[in-house]
Amino acid sequence: MTQVLRTVDLNKRFGGIVVSDNINITIDRGEILGLIGPNGAGKTSLFNLISGVLRPDSGSIFLNGQAVDTSPLYKRARMGIARTWQNMLLFRTMTVIENLLIAPREYAGESILRVTFGLGSVRSAERQARERALGILDRMGLAGTAESMVTDLPFGQQKLIGLARTLMNDGPLLLLDEPMAGVEGAAYETMQAVVRQEAALGRAVCVVEHNVSFIRDLCSRAVFMANGKILQDGTVEELIASKALTELYFGV
Amino acid sequence: MEYLATVTILIAIYVILAASYNLVIGYGGLATVAHPIFFAIGAYVSGLLAIHVGMPPILSVALGAVAAMVASVLLAASSLRVSGDYLLIASLGFQLGLLQLIRNLELTGGPGGLSNIPSTITGAARTPAFLAITIGLAAVSVLGIRAIVRGPYGRAITAMRDEELAFTALGRNAMSMKIVIFAIGCGVAGMAGGVYAYYFQYVSPEQFEVLQSAQILTMVVLGGMATAYGPVVGAVLLLAIPQAITFLNLPQNIMAPLQGIIFTVLVLLFLFLRPTGIMGASESKPRARATEAA
Amino acid sequence: MYDPVILAQIFWTGVATSAPHVLMTLGFALTLKVTGLWNFAQAGFMAIAFYTMFFALNGLDLPIFIAVLLAIGTTVVASLATEVYGLQVLRERQSGNLTFFIFTLILSQFIMYVITLIFGTEPQTLFKSILSPVQIIGGVAVSDWDLLGVGLMVMGMVALWLFMAFTKEGQFLTAVSDNAKLAELYGISARRSYRVTAVIASLFIVASMYLVGSHGGVVPNSPLELILGAVLGTLLGGIGRVFAAAAASIFLALIQSFSILVLASRWQNLLLYGFLFVAIVVFPRGVRLPKFRFALAGR
Repeated sequence: MTQVLRTVDLNKRFGGIVVSDNINITIDRGEILGLIGPNGAGKTSLFNLISGVLRPDSGSIFLNGQAVDTSPLYKRARMGIARTWQNMLLFRTMTVIENLLIAPREYAGESILRVTFGLGSVRSAERQARERALGILDRMGLAGTAESMVTDLPFGQQKLIGLARTLMNDGPLLLLDEPMAGVEGAAYETMQAVVRQEAALGRAVCVVEHNVSFIRDLCSRAVFMANGKILQDGTVEELIASKALTELYFGV
Repeated sequence: MEYLATVTILIAIYVILAASYNLVIGYGGLATVAHPIFFAIGAYVSGLLAIHVGMPPILSVALGAVAAMVASVLLAASSLRVSGDYLLIASLGFQLGLLQLIRNLELTGGPGGLSNIPSTITGAARTPAFLAITIGLAAVSVLGIRAIVRGPYGRAITAMRDEELAFTALGRNAMSMKIVIFAIGCGVAGMAGGVYAYYFQYVSPEQFEVLQSAQILTMVVLGGMATAYGPVVGAVLLLAIPQAITFLNLPQNIMAPLQGIIFTVLVLLFLFLRPTGIMGASESKPRARATEAA
Repeated sequence: MYDPVILAQIFWTGVATSAPHVLMTLGFALTLKVTGLWNFAQAGFMAIAFYTMFFALNGLDLPIFIAVLLAIGTTVVASLATEVYGLQVLRERQSGNLTFFIFTLILSQFIMYVITLIFGTEPQTLFKSILSPVQIIGGVAVSDWDLLGVGLMVMGMVALWLFMAFTKEGQFLTAVSDNAKLAELYGISARRSYRVTAVIASLFIVASMYLVGSHGGVVPNSPLELILGAVLGTLLGGIGRVFAAAAASIFLALIQSFSILVLASRWQNLLLYGFLFVAIVVFPRGVRLPKFRFALAGR
């Protein structure tokens, strides 16, 4: 069984607005699924439903065959649903490496008892986390920025830190919300390379992105959403070829 | 001399209160006005145990702190479930309601309060002993809280205050962390209450009014929110200044509001001109700049 | 004991005594709706309103309508000054909720200390006598104060409703409360709306304090306790639902009045806090009545 994520008939509405209308999607191990559609199509809401920020009105979400519906946001994160945010949500008063150090699943600073009484194990956990963090930064060519304040970095690099934070754990699923928006140059190349590598390492990746060439380069399959519905599910070529969708989204 | 010692003991107790309030409100970012009531819970529980059970002071002060802690967990767990803003309103209700209850119960001595709390230490050694105990506890509280907010746990607190949603989505349990911070802060306030009851041997409801939280808040803001030693500076200043004015020999009906005016003006000035407080980083440093941007 | 006349009396007195609370709650809840702020500084403005009237009547021997006008003047000035030189500055700095809370709380403290210094802590009333003439209507005692209170309350609610529903300025307030940034895009100045709100709240505060001060003694600290009622009404009514908050205030006053049938008077305040707690724990978003909705209540 290589299926990592499966949603079954996910429904969610806010008042009269339907943001999720019977959504069924699956993502396999090693796959990069593109999620495209106009603004307000319900793409970010779908991420919010999967990661646990929102509760669906009905429907279920399975991670590696296990229902995660009842688990709150932080527990789903520990089960391995990692995500980034459209506007990054970095920890603004902290350095780059501190931003990454918050993320390990077995975070040494989670429990005050452990910090107070388990000094040895805390130190070794911290050391390991620091090594991993530096490794990730190195991969992104950001090793030199480790001790900088995260707000002092250029925008593209801040986007990368948002991704780097999620790579502190080996989770099965990675949800990327507009990773390329506002990113260009070297950061663009790095982002693309890292996402591809992570998929190659066996993660299931789902990308919400308006940048069609990014989707075309990375994704074998894509889903088109509008008004909370999935209108089409297929290869990126098929989606672009579809006349109805082109009119709706790509513009003619 | 005795007077000076009493003032010093009072300052030490307020250092504990301000430091613990700073942990909750400054570091934890948890807006509450119920700190005086946790101070009261500690004082009343310790006092009652001393009077009716004759329990040894250390044990009864500890139980007072535990009682405050338990009450604080109940308050935080029920209101934080809704939202952070709600804690403020819930704490206001908790503070006023519980004090009203204390004012009306036979057990707590009603509006007259609890007198005749036994003096465990008597004779000439009493004042020096309490001086040592309160200053020692103040130092332990301040340094203990400083230790908590440094290192990995403190880093997590900062991250939570910066961006709670991202923090939670990284697998951190923000709710339990807030409740723990709140419980520690309120437990320490309860401990301060216990010591207060033993030293003054008398507690009454008006010592724990909601306005007290404005006073403790003043100490924290003046000294510097989310700084380790700010509350110490704030508490010393705020309690020392009134003593200095005492020498002006003004009548009480002028003195009390005058002191209040001085404090509130100080807070307002600091809030606008130097939001980081006396001990806070100046704004030229990158960290402070980052905080400002937030 | 459950004689209908007695019950009617309790009901009437309950509604009448709720009048100052309802007026205050309207201002408080409107401020919360539009600015998103639990504005505790309003306790300070309430003190300013009362002591201005008190001084004008008893210190300067001015006629009542001039005293009220003066109070409107001082309260509006205080409230606008706080908005312009305080809240607006903090907003521009993008301060956190905590900073706003500290500012409004400490500001009202400051005002109370200044007033204590000037007027002392003796309870004061606006008029020498707080007794007002009573008529018996169908066995129920109705005082002039009751009538004035209920009249002001009804007028206040109707005026606010008309303002919000039918004037451009009122619709701007609703727009700003829904989404200040979006409203600005449509050319509505949020800043202006906040100031309009401050003025409206001041009017409610003066009306409320006139009723409070002509019915019983006021000390500098009284407004802080009074504002708690506004907090409670706002919570029960549901944040952002101004008229539901006012209705909740009436409901609370009635509960308190009727509780004298079963509770000793010293427990009545506690009952209020009990409600506060139930409201916080069980109805965090206010009590929603399914079919009975006010025009402006929905959000």
